Amino acid sequence: MNLVSSLFEGLIMAAGGHGKVHDGLTFWQRIQPPEDISEHGHLIEWLFNYTTILNIFFFALVCAGLFGFSFLYSAKRNPKPYYTYGNKKSHIMVATAIGLSVFLAIDMNITRMSNNDYTGVFINWPDEDKEDVYRVQVMAQQWAWHFRYPGKDGVFNTEDDVVYLNDLRVPAGKKVVIQMISKDVIHSLYLPNARRKVDAIPGRITRIWFKLNKPGKYDIACAEMCGTYHYRMQAKLTVYEEADMNAWMAEAQEKAIQENDSENLERYWGWTWQKTTRKEVSMN
Amino acid sequence: MAFYEQHIHPKPTTFISKYIFSYDHKVIGKQFLWYGILGLGLGGIMALMIRWALAFPGEAFPLIGRFMFPETGGVIPPDTYAMLFTMHGTIMIFYAITPILIGAFGNFCIPLMIGCRDMAFPLMNMLSFWLAVLSAALLVGSLFTPLGAAAGGWTAYPTLSTLIGSPGVGQTLWAVAIFVLGISSTMGAINYITTVITLRAPGMGYFDMPLTIWGLWLTAILNAIFLPVLGAGGLLLVFDRVFGTQFFLAGAAATSGTGDPVLFQHVFWIFGHPEVYILILPAWGIVSDILSFFSRKPAFGAKATALSMTSITILSTLVYGHHMYTTQMSPLLTQTFMTLTMTISIPSAIFFANWLGTIWKGTIKFDTPMLFSLGVVFVFGLGGLTGLYLGTVTTDLYLHDTYFVVGHFHYTMAASVLFGSFAAIYFWMPKMFGKMLNETWGKIHFWLTMLGLNGVFFGMLFVGYAGMHRRLYDPFVYDFLQKLVPINTFITWSAILMGLSQIIFVVNFCYAVFWGKEETDPNPWKVGTLEWTIPSPAPHYNFAEIPVVKCGPHELGNPNLTTDRDFQYQTEELVEA
Amino acid sequence: MERTAILHSDSIEGKRLVSSIAMIVVLVSFSMLFASLFLGYSYFRITSPVWPPMGMEKVDLFFPTLSTFAIVLSSMTFMVFKAKYFGGGAVNKTMPWLVATIILGAGFMYTQFSLWADLKSRGFYASSGVFQSLVYSFTWIHAAHIVIALLTLLYLIPVTMNKECTISEENKVNNVGKFWHFLDVVWLLMYFIIFVI
Repeated sequence: MNLVSSLFEGLIMAAGGHGKVHDGLTFWQRIQPPEDISEHGHLIEWLFNYTTILNIFFFALVCAGLFGFSFLYSAKRNPKPYYTYGNKKSHIMVATAIGLSVFLAIDMNITRMSNNDYTGVFINWPDEDKEDVYRVQVMAQQWAWHFRYPGKDGVFNTEDDVVYLNDLRVPAGKKVVIQMISKDVIHSLYLPNARRKVDAIPGRITRIWFKLNKPGKYDIACAEMCGTYHYRMQAKLTVYEEADMNAWMAEAQEKAIQENDSENLERYWGWTWQKTTRKEVSMN
Repeated sequence: MAFYEQHIHPKPTTFISKYIFSYDHKVIGKQFLWYGILGLGLGGIMALMIRWALAFPGEAFPLIGRFMFPETGGVIPPDTYAMLFTMHGTIMIFYAITPILIGAFGNFCIPLMIGCRDMAFPLMNMLSFWLAVLSAALLVGSLFTPLGAAAGGWTAYPTLSTLIGSPGVGQTLWAVAIFVLGISSTMGAINYITTVITLRAPGMGYFDMPLTIWGLWLTAILNAIFLPVLGAGGLLLVFDRVFGTQFFLAGAAATSGTGDPVLFQHVFWIFGHPEVYILILPAWGIVSDILSFFSRKPAFGAKATALSMTSITILSTLVYGHHMYTTQMSPLLTQTFMTLTMTISIPSAIFFANWLGTIWKGTIKFDTPMLFSLGVVFVFGLGGLTGLYLGTVTTDLYLHDTYFVVGHFHYTMAASVLFGSFAAIYFWMPKMFGKMLNETWGKIHFWLTMLGLNGVFFGMLFVGYAGMHRRLYDPFVYDFLQKLVPINTFITWSAILMGLSQIIFVVNFCYAVFWGKEETDPNPWKVGTLEWTIPSPAPHYNFAEIPVVKCGPHELGNPNLTTDRDFQYQTEELVEA
Repeated sequence: MERTAILHSDSIEGKRLVSSIAMIVVLVSFSMLFASLFLGYSYFRITSPVWPPMGMEKVDLFFPTLSTFAIVLSSMTFMVFKAKYFGGGAVNKTMPWLVATIILGAGFMYTQFSLWADLKSRGFYASSGVFQSLVYSFTWIHAAHIVIALLTLLYLIPVTMNKECTISEENKVNNVGKFWHFLDVVWLLMYFIIFVI
């Protein structure tokens, strides 16, 4: 891998590339996805790597055939071609075997794993009646994210709600459920550090749940083209330890009660929280 | 098997009837070829501008930048950037690849390779070309409207593409242009389907058709069935924009919130996924043929290849949902689409087996068309395998709308289809224009393109996995993407290399067409399909006498041949031991 | 594999086949256009809790029913025309039926315009909601096709006037007829799906 990196860095230097190339990262470090801070992000990464290994194996087979045959059977080396239609029993068996082995070894294999992760984790919505989850409502608009937390009353879309712009704060180690809508065009809430994204669509509520484990500050982006300043539709994600979270939330709720302008109807873009059960989502 | 007698029509005499409003499928094919090459050039320059903005944000675009964006001193502004990637996608798909593979080689090859004198409906053929010109005029014209061209991405998702997101008239013109192009392509498709069914030379069964014709025919079928779906979506979008209907409007910005933007995505991808195969099927067919021709042995499992193409055609209509995982479809739909998507790999793998089987134990001659065809096997391998990550729902949750997707579909739709087109151009050049392209420059063109192309698209896979999402004017406003600056610079330099190496092709092509030496041999590649039995360039009536087909298209290297040739024309009785 | 080399000695049969194969493809294309529209309709209908949504009233059936009568009758008159024309009938026997078809088609358009005017007078605008959008867009798109079909019907007048029925005329009459009947069927579907149920 060092050879690749140095070759690559050399190419960039030769091409007079950007100054930032001197930040000392190797090529291998550059192509790593952002730090995984979530409980389940590793499932996605694991499946990616698993697929990659299988892909490398099968692509190596293709390349072996492609370059090997090109070398062995060039006109010079093999002046007499083997006259066949490829319709002998053995030929058909080999072709079918390759087709089936790709299908069973890669496709059905990763489909099964992906399906397990999908049903077991990503759409296995936390049961809000039994579990304590952290709830957030999101409204996307060109080109900003609004985040709404319930106020002291624990109910959404009331006058004591805590509403922040481009600033999402969630506790570590607790399941977070986000419901979102969009005001104008389709956006997509993209959390690179949690390996997740889901579209925010006007006229319907979409949902996502995740559990983050590592406190810190991270990026949130919009992943769906939403107009000229799509690239600026950026928000910050802050993950707090439980205690810090409670302190911040208490303060924010206090501030909300004092400062919220209850006459301003535009503040009430929220909605009654829709408890997410599996059945409900599958109706969408 | 031809359904009726075809007469020899008198040769057109005036310039207009000969070159402009020609009924001749060969002239229409050449018209489409020039049209497509112009489209490639335009789309390619747009691609370079996009790449420039990504690698050198805030720096003036060289040479033409100062004339195009005087108010910013040559720097591409963000709204122009959005127009650029929208137009790049639209032009490359609908105005470059479609006209070259389907328009040019569909028109040129179908009658010649199945042995008839013209298409079943020559007038409709001509109309199809001129409607395509009208459509291109609408699209290019939209660049000069006050608020500029469409800027909502080539997928034109509402509500961004409705008045809420793009108030300019450019988006309306975009939808109208696509609708007109849809009519044009549907007319072409009707023509191709009917021609292949009814005008095959006597003796030519479906499995005696060259695989090129199989690819083009299946493409035409997909076109005829699914372009109207896009047409319906486009019409409703135009209605929403012009007549104030509410199909795709919802949310707080809509006047009444009962429409649904996701409906457009369904309609678009019902068309859009088959469209991917519309583009790639002709390339597959061409490659399957050329691999056999230059390995001097019959195509391995030609019947299986044809049937695999057919099954892919059918499967392609059932998998569109994998483009919409992040819209949170119901889990049942998601799982169904994931599983169906994965089944496409069976016919694809059979393809690869057959391609490699074709060159196995062959006598491979590395002429330029062969190099490009082998290139397709390589890049389509990469493109197909990277699709696995995106068909799988959980990995797609992370990779959706990142550059990984961009890299993947450029490998399948851009790289493979472009290589297929080049293979076809280099291969049929002598029959089209009676001239050969320069082989040495052709090989240089191939290797430089191969190098640049893999630099660009593999680089995209890397930055995509590292989390960089699509359609960003300046990705480096995000902290987590800043480490990707060098890779983006590398991609851009690769793109510039790829772009510049196309100049070699254009010069080679124009030189050959206008000043090149006449090729005297009517069959320079020594292959036996019907178009090589007639003089080069093909006379306006194609076949002085309608040929009678007696053997398959890939009769090469038969050891029982007693002539000095190593191949048989399709008009000859198969030599058996 | 048997490799016969038979050219159809009877070119007429071949041309008839070519024409009908092409027409099948054309009609498949058009069906896909309308099928996509109906897909959109059912998408809205399934996801909406009540239909028509938001307490809207259904469209009054008077004009749509009138349209239905006009277009069904016109299909029948066209069939009579075709039978008489292919039977070698004289112009004064065939032409009235073709003209009747065109008049009924024009009548269909007239009732459509009356329907739109009537809807507007009740405050039923394309922009007031998705149900209205559906009603208007579907009838607009269908009417646009009817206009094209009427033009082709008009074109049939010079084609069939005082001319022997060769394969070329036969194909034209057949294809225009198929297109007209196709639009008739599409209208019937629309009538039942959008207006009745």
